Amino acid sequence: MFAIYKRLWLVNWAEQWQYRANLLMYLAFWLVSPIVYLAVWTTIANAQGSINGFTAPDFVAYYMMLLIVDIATSDITIHIFGYKIMDGSLSNELILPIHPVLMKVLVNNLAFKALQMMALAPIWLILYVLYQPVFAITVTHVLLAIPAIALGFMLQFFAGATITCIAFWTTRVWSISDFYSNIFRLLAGQFVPLALLPAFMQSASQVLPFRLALYFPVQLLLGKLSLEETLLDLGLQVVWCVILFVLFRLVWRAGLKKYAAVGA
Amino acid sequence: MYILKLFSTFLKVNLQQDLAYRADAIVNMVMSVIGTGWDLLGLSIIFANTKEIGGWGPSELIALMGVWRLVNVMMATIVWPNTEKFNTGVRDGSLDYTFLQPVNSQLLISITRMVVWRVFDFAIAVALIIAGMTSGNVITSPPLVAAFLALTFSGAAIIYSLWITLISFTFWFTKFDNSVTIMAALMDAGRYPAQVYPYWLRALITFIIPIAVATTVPLQALRGELMGWQIIGFLVIGAAAVFLSSRVWKAGVRRYSGASS
Amino acid sequence: MLQQSAFGAPGADSNPIVVEGLSKTYQVTDREGGFGAAVRSFVKRKFRDVKAVQNVSFRIGQGEIVGFLGPNGAGKTTTLKMLAGLLHPTSGSAKVLGFTPWERNSGYLRSMTLVMGQRNRLSWDIPAADSFLLNQAIYRISDADYKRVFDELNELLDLAPIIRKPVRNLSLGERMKCELAASLLHRPAVLFLDEPTIGLDISAQVRIRAFLKEYNRRSGATILLTSHYMADVTALCERIIIIHHGQTKYDGKLVDLSRRIAPFKLIGVTLGDCADCDLSRYGTVVPGEGSEDAGKHSVQVKADEVAAITARMLAELPVVDLTIEDPPIEDVIERAFHE
Repeated sequence: MFAIYKRLWLVNWAEQWQYRANLLMYLAFWLVSPIVYLAVWTTIANAQGSINGFTAPDFVAYYMMLLIVDIATSDITIHIFGYKIMDGSLSNELILPIHPVLMKVLVNNLAFKALQMMALAPIWLILYVLYQPVFAITVTHVLLAIPAIALGFMLQFFAGATITCIAFWTTRVWSISDFYSNIFRLLAGQFVPLALLPAFMQSASQVLPFRLALYFPVQLLLGKLSLEETLLDLGLQVVWCVILFVLFRLVWRAGLKKYAAVGA
Repeated sequence: MYILKLFSTFLKVNLQQDLAYRADAIVNMVMSVIGTGWDLLGLSIIFANTKEIGGWGPSELIALMGVWRLVNVMMATIVWPNTEKFNTGVRDGSLDYTFLQPVNSQLLISITRMVVWRVFDFAIAVALIIAGMTSGNVITSPPLVAAFLALTFSGAAIIYSLWITLISFTFWFTKFDNSVTIMAALMDAGRYPAQVYPYWLRALITFIIPIAVATTVPLQALRGELMGWQIIGFLVIGAAAVFLSSRVWKAGVRRYSGASS
Repeated sequence: MLQQSAFGAPGADSNPIVVEGLSKTYQVTDREGGFGAAVRSFVKRKFRDVKAVQNVSFRIGQGEIVGFLGPNGAGKTTTLKMLAGLLHPTSGSAKVLGFTPWERNSGYLRSMTLVMGQRNRLSWDIPAADSFLLNQAIYRISDADYKRVFDELNELLDLAPIIRKPVRNLSLGERMKCELAASLLHRPAVLFLDEPTIGLDISAQVRIRAFLKEYNRRSGATILLTSHYMADVTALCERIIIIHHGQTKYDGKLVDLSRRIAPFKLIGVTLGDCADCDLSRYGTVVPGEGSEDAGKHSVQVKADEVAAITARMLAELPVVDLTIEDPPIEDVIERAFHE
């Protein structure tokens, strides 16, 4: 079983490497927004001194860390799999003895991620020199961040896979995916640290899983969380992973039934 | 005139195509409204924490959002759908048919597919611009408004020219069919006034992928921040961009057809 | 009624297509596989000349339908593309309707058309009728002219039931009919067809062939077509040009080629009971052409000896049935490739 994953990895890595020029283009998508938001909030913070206790250096550290964690936990399932459901090429995947999503798409995601991180590294270092962020990071943080980021990715992966399954029922899956991205941007802390959101949005973010996919690992690596908070959130991540995994399985099975009934 | 009749025929055919997928168009229009809602929500979060950014207040930012949406509408109406058609045509050889027709090939690849229902987005953009201009304390005057409109138009022309240049590169580097993605990625940077960005990002979006020239600059004209010679300068750059990009396209076509030059 | 548009440049040769010494050489990067070669090629690129078309010359008269044949990679499509103005030649000249094709004169583009099998000019998502409207606008066809041409094409191709469906819902045969119709709306005087029947089922092929023949008869348009299907060639082309390795090997009538290259006939003889009959006395026995168990055999003989040998066979053998056939055209042309 592990051998299958290893083989898939090698193939995917080779494939991704072929398209590395395109990769650089796609990296731009991940980079531009955080830098734009960073610029906006530091400008405001510099003009006022601080916003709600956040100073400009706080924002710099926040978004610089977010750049890494965002790529590390992001999921691209809808982009690499959505069209297959809609144009029928899913049929080719279904005859293989491996799960198209839980194995193929997952490894595809990981290979893409690895390449993105490789491409990000030099750019991030340049930004580091330009922005001089100050990080209060310890070994404990890093060790705890590893499961936090892994679980954060799994969260997004199961959520993304479930949303992609909507394509079994409607071609408007992109609109729904857009809607999801917009909510995520606000409630996961991509746009601004959650503490600066209006109160009702902060409450929403506590209840929903988005915060756990991105904001939590970022805060952890910034040293803003106590051990109890960290362990609690790790536990919550596990809970949400299970919920979303079960949800995905249900939706996938229902979707396949519909797909098989209609025919490719 | 011939070009006008041609354009209107293409418009009609594309509109019919959109109408065939009426439900999709309606959903997309609803999503546009929702998207505008998200954007305004983001703005309100910013202005809950401050009165102005980079010297600009909420009204200017709303007008800026309108101008940004205008550029976005052009991208979504013409650039993205035709880039896809162009790349497919290069890959499967049907691009040859474009060159067989007795019409300027650059014109053809620009208007073959137009997403006509986006006129709705255009209306939203205009509404945002008017809302931004009339609310709050934007002090302006007719000549400034004229400069604003001219620069908006010229800015869109620059973005269009950039697109033509980028897809022309495919004639030389056939694997590089993704260059338009970088335009889409940097679009986000046009949502906020360029003076907010660090110098290197500002330079990038002014000189290389000139989103700022299409969004921030017209707003600056509206606020009277630009001098006459600067306005003229930007308009000249717009015209030059259109001219230069069409030469790049022609050179690309010559290369595609193996002309020795 | 379907007259072609007037000829182009004044003082033109009366032959619509005149090609002299046309050549096209490509430069391709020469690169072996492997990592070392990739690195080396990054530093210094090696180029290789590919002579796709070498010194090709021919003239095609008005109203002719000429078949342009050759194995894959022979240079047919390259030549066709040069004549259509899509490619610039390396050397040589060509004049179609008096125009130099690669100058892409608007007058030229409105007098010719190129149809490539399996490559779609029609927009995928919209009905063919809408693509026709676009063509009408592009080629500046007046409403009266358009109606006249469309009615005629409709009569010949039976378009009415299929043009309101989106093109992607059409079968291959239906799509080809629409592609042809779209490319003929402006009544071009010259048609270049690159494998127009490829991928179509037999009945669709037959229909397209019949259409082309009738269209040529009615309009007098000049047609140059490439094809891998011998049925296309035998049905449509009196004259063929064979091209191989970028050079013309033969230019003339199809029947003459047969006579020149393969001056044979095949005698198919069915014998009754004949245990010790030796057919090799009469000519070359072609194995596998008949079914030996049923007593059928095929013997290849020289064309001018057919009568004599047939007479001998009838006299000396227990012949039940006898046929005399030309060698299959595929073999003839295949042989011509390798001359």
